[in-house]
Amino acid sequence: MGSVLRRLLFFFQRDRFDRDLDDELRFHAEMKAHAIADADGLSGDEARAAARRRIGNPLRLRERSREPWLSLAVEAFVQDVRHALRLLRRDPAFAFTALATLALGIGLNTALFSVAYGVLWRPLPYSSPDRLVMLSSAQQTDKGVKTFSTWAPVSYEALRRRVTALEDLAAYASIEVPLTGRGEPQQVSALDVSPNFFATLGVAPVRGRTFLTGAGAPDDERSAIISDRLWRTSLEGDPAIVGQTITLDGLPRTVVGVLPPDFSFRPVVRNGALPEPDIFLPNRWPGDTGRSAFLWLLGRMKPGVTLARVESELAALVNDASVVPGGALGMEGALAPNVRTIARAVGLQEYGTESVRALLLILLGAVSCVLLIACVNVANLQMARLSARRGELSVRMALGAGRRRIVRQLLTEAVVLSLLGASIGVMLAKLAIAVTLPLVPQLALPRLGGIVIDGRVMAFCLALSLVSTLLIGLVPALRVSGAAFGEELALHAGEGRTTGDRQGERLRTLLVAAQIAMTLILLVGAGLLIHSFVRLTSVSPGFDSSGRDGVVQTVKVTLPERLYDRPERIQAFARGVLDRIQYLPGVKSASLINSAPFGRMFIRSDFSIEGQPKPTLDAGRPKIEAGYFTTMGIPLLAGREFTAGDTAGSPNVAIVSERIVREYFPGGPAEALGRRVRIGDRGEWRTVVGVAADIRQMGLDQAVQPMLYVPFQQERDEVFVLRFVSFVVRTATPASVAEGIRAEIRRAAPDLPIQATVTMDEAVAASVAPPRFRMWLLALFAMAATLIATCGIYGLMAYAVTQRRREIGVRMALGADRRDVLRLVLMRALRIVVAGVVVGLAGAAGVTRVLQRFLFGVTPTDPIAFATVTLLLMAVGLLAAWLPARRATRIDPVRALRAE
Amino acid sequence: MREAKSKGKNELLPGTLEMLVLKTLSIESMHGYGIAQHIQMLSADVLTVEEGSLYPALQRMLVKGWVSAEWKTSANNRRARFYKLTAAGKKQLGIEESRFSQVSGAIMRVMKTT
Repeated sequence: MGSVLRRLLFFFQRDRFDRDLDDELRFHAEMKAHAIADADGLSGDEARAAARRRIGNPLRLRERSREPWLSLAVEAFVQDVRHALRLLRRDPAFAFTALATLALGIGLNTALFSVAYGVLWRPLPYSSPDRLVMLSSAQQTDKGVKTFSTWAPVSYEALRRRVTALEDLAAYASIEVPLTGRGEPQQVSALDVSPNFFATLGVAPVRGRTFLTGAGAPDDERSAIISDRLWRTSLEGDPAIVGQTITLDGLPRTVVGVLPPDFSFRPVVRNGALPEPDIFLPNRWPGDTGRSAFLWLLGRMKPGVTLARVESELAALVNDASVVPGGALGMEGALAPNVRTIARAVGLQEYGTESVRALLLILLGAVSCVLLIACVNVANLQMARLSARRGELSVRMALGAGRRRIVRQLLTEAVVLSLLGASIGVMLAKLAIAVTLPLVPQLALPRLGGIVIDGRVMAFCLALSLVSTLLIGLVPALRVSGAAFGEELALHAGEGRTTGDRQGERLRTLLVAAQIAMTLILLVGAGLLIHSFVRLTSVSPGFDSSGRDGVVQTVKVTLPERLYDRPERIQAFARGVLDRIQYLPGVKSASLINSAPFGRMFIRSDFSIEGQPKPTLDAGRPKIEAGYFTTMGIPLLAGREFTAGDTAGSPNVAIVSERIVREYFPGGPAEALGRRVRIGDRGEWRTVVGVAADIRQMGLDQAVQPMLYVPFQQERDEVFVLRFVSFVVRTATPASVAEGIRAEIRRAAPDLPIQATVTMDEAVAASVAPPRFRMWLLALFAMAATLIATCGIYGLMAYAVTQRRREIGVRMALGADRRDVLRLVLMRALRIVVAGVVVGLAGAAGVTRVLQRFLFGVTPTDPIAFATVTLLLMAVGLLAAWLPARRATRIDPVRALRAE
Repeated sequence: MREAKSKGKNELLPGTLEMLVLKTLSIESMHGYGIAQHIQMLSADVLTVEEGSLYPALQRMLVKGWVSAEWKTSANNRRARFYKLTAAGKKQLGIEESRFSQVSGAIMRVMKTT
């Protein structure tokens, strides 16, 4: 062993070895030269030359001196590897099963790790990204913690000037702007940013410059910095782009900079991320009244400053009314008075990833389980082969191979298997990522750019194969080094008909039971998500997205603020387009709304009912045109729809939703008719003319919101909320009608980009895409685990039947019929499966809690999911055992007995 | 090739070089040149030790743990690598000596019978 250690040491000190040898030889040569000079009377140089000649080629000498260190270790290793490969080739069924399961296990882990690493841990592409923090405020009230993620511009200015723990404090707001004059008009994701935004991130444009931050930088008001992507696509990579103007929102903007190609900034919101902005516009938000909070604050901490220090300093500032005016934090009415506000600072990397982090960690846990099951399977197969190879091994031991040598051989086999499995696994992972990433629901992951298979992921993969090597190699190796094995070998060599390797079989049974347990846990997880998904999709959205009379097609536009600055302009545009699309061929009915359901937009506020105390609930307040309920297929419970007669000049009317009636009109829908309601405290009173059924506005898993519908044509003040227009049309031919609507919009407003063209079916499907994706992933992992575990049971039982041929033969000879034999084998399998299932159920009951936040309408211990997957697994397990059991019944007792 | 080169000189029996080195080092620790000199001197120039055999042999013995090496100052005040016999080396010397005497005795017996 000492020599192995010395050789290992040599490997790490090769440079020193060479230096030492060179020194030594130089010394030798000089001594020799002295001797020659003395003896032959030669001069120094001649003597040295003579000495060199006699010593011969120094390089070869060095090579030969090295050999002793290398040859022995390497030779033995190469020999072991060759032997392992030979064994694999000789047993292709084993090689295939082992490699396939390992590649699957390692591949899944590698793929998922690359995603988790890319999303959660890869350092962000900014300078010192660990010092970047997102700021928010929160209040602890009796209803729980209420978080305010955004800030009013006045608060931002006040904080930026005063905060000392931060090196820089930037603000941004996510917007969308129409880009016109460069090909087809398009709606581009953009970011309104404070001028110091890029300085805070520590990023500089590759072309041009960043925004000017000084006080004397008003020139920058009309500037823009663009992404590399936008520059390459829409601006055709124009090398002279800096200094040119582009038209955004109908106004010229000078491009002052182009960002580096690898720059990426994804605004993260509560449950996901917004699209990456392509345009950055400097903004100082002049004329802000502090009444609306819409800015996200991004700070850079000074070196050595802790999050806690930032939070305590901010909290002091936020609660000081002379710094941050009251009400400037949350939306109007959202802030509880006389409650201390807390400040939060969260690392930019962690910000908004809570949900994704939990999901990825759960999935990582699931795939680790799959790998563990795979390793157990291969270890089991190895054990079975070991029993079969006892002859070979005992011969080798008899010929003088030490136990240590045999163990090393087994470990080498495990290394070969793992590394081969890992190489296939990496390829699988690459494929899996390429195939799956495009399927990941949009905006579900905060960062996609970081997901690549790089050195770090490869290192993880290598570490996995090391772990699997240990798992695969150690179990059989321990068996060999156990004292009993040698004795069995001796016995085995002498006597041809042992009843099998008892101890090994016990261990294998245990391993298979463990596999079943882990598989069941995964299956329960998948079952819970599936049941939850079924529950979720059986929730009615409240509208009839597809029926006998066609589907609902929507086309969304956002009218630019500068051209549509008065309600009448917007209303005229909307009315004009709507009048024309009503007569498009294939259109059954048409209408429009400013905040379509499932459209990521929902405006709500407090409201009042005449003669009643102020309602505590907030209500959604969509603006709709005539025929909206008919088009959407939302039933009217009482009264009438809006009609073309409900215009700016006619009496103010409103339609309330079922939920409002349920909460505030105990007499039912009829009672609400004729009563008056208004939005906020100061708006105009509106007479309720109808009651509409409830709908889900934000998603199937979201609570039903109270709604207060107002005619689109009767909105007089709020231009902002009218600018978003979704045309909705019921039609049997959605594709051609959508094209028709787009053509009408282009006719009415040639420069208006069309944002989204989706059917309501698609919108609903998109809203359940994340849970569907989660469900599929976990189901896939569980299926992989089940497949592997099934192989495990099959292998164990097939082996057991072969081993017990003689016993079964005897039983049959003594009168047991086929049914008895079948029962014998199946009962044995059933015992193993049941043992595994019991342990698995206990384990599942313990761990499914982590899925809680991803479940809808089912509890983590949902009996239906638990029962279904248990039955499924038992059925699959018995099926796997049935094949060998049937083979057992076909044993011919005479031949089985004679064969010995 | 190596054999061809050393033809004409007195060749060592295979395996005896290591024994001779071990024997030399059992007297005192020595550097490579010293070992070669020592063997040559004591054999009255009958046995010459080639560098091409000596240094690989020393490395082999290092691997096997029979000798250890250490950089020290030589008699003429130069830095040289000195080799020292280890306990394992002493044991090995005993084994080689007895084997050698067996073999040489056997050879002698064969040669004497005519």
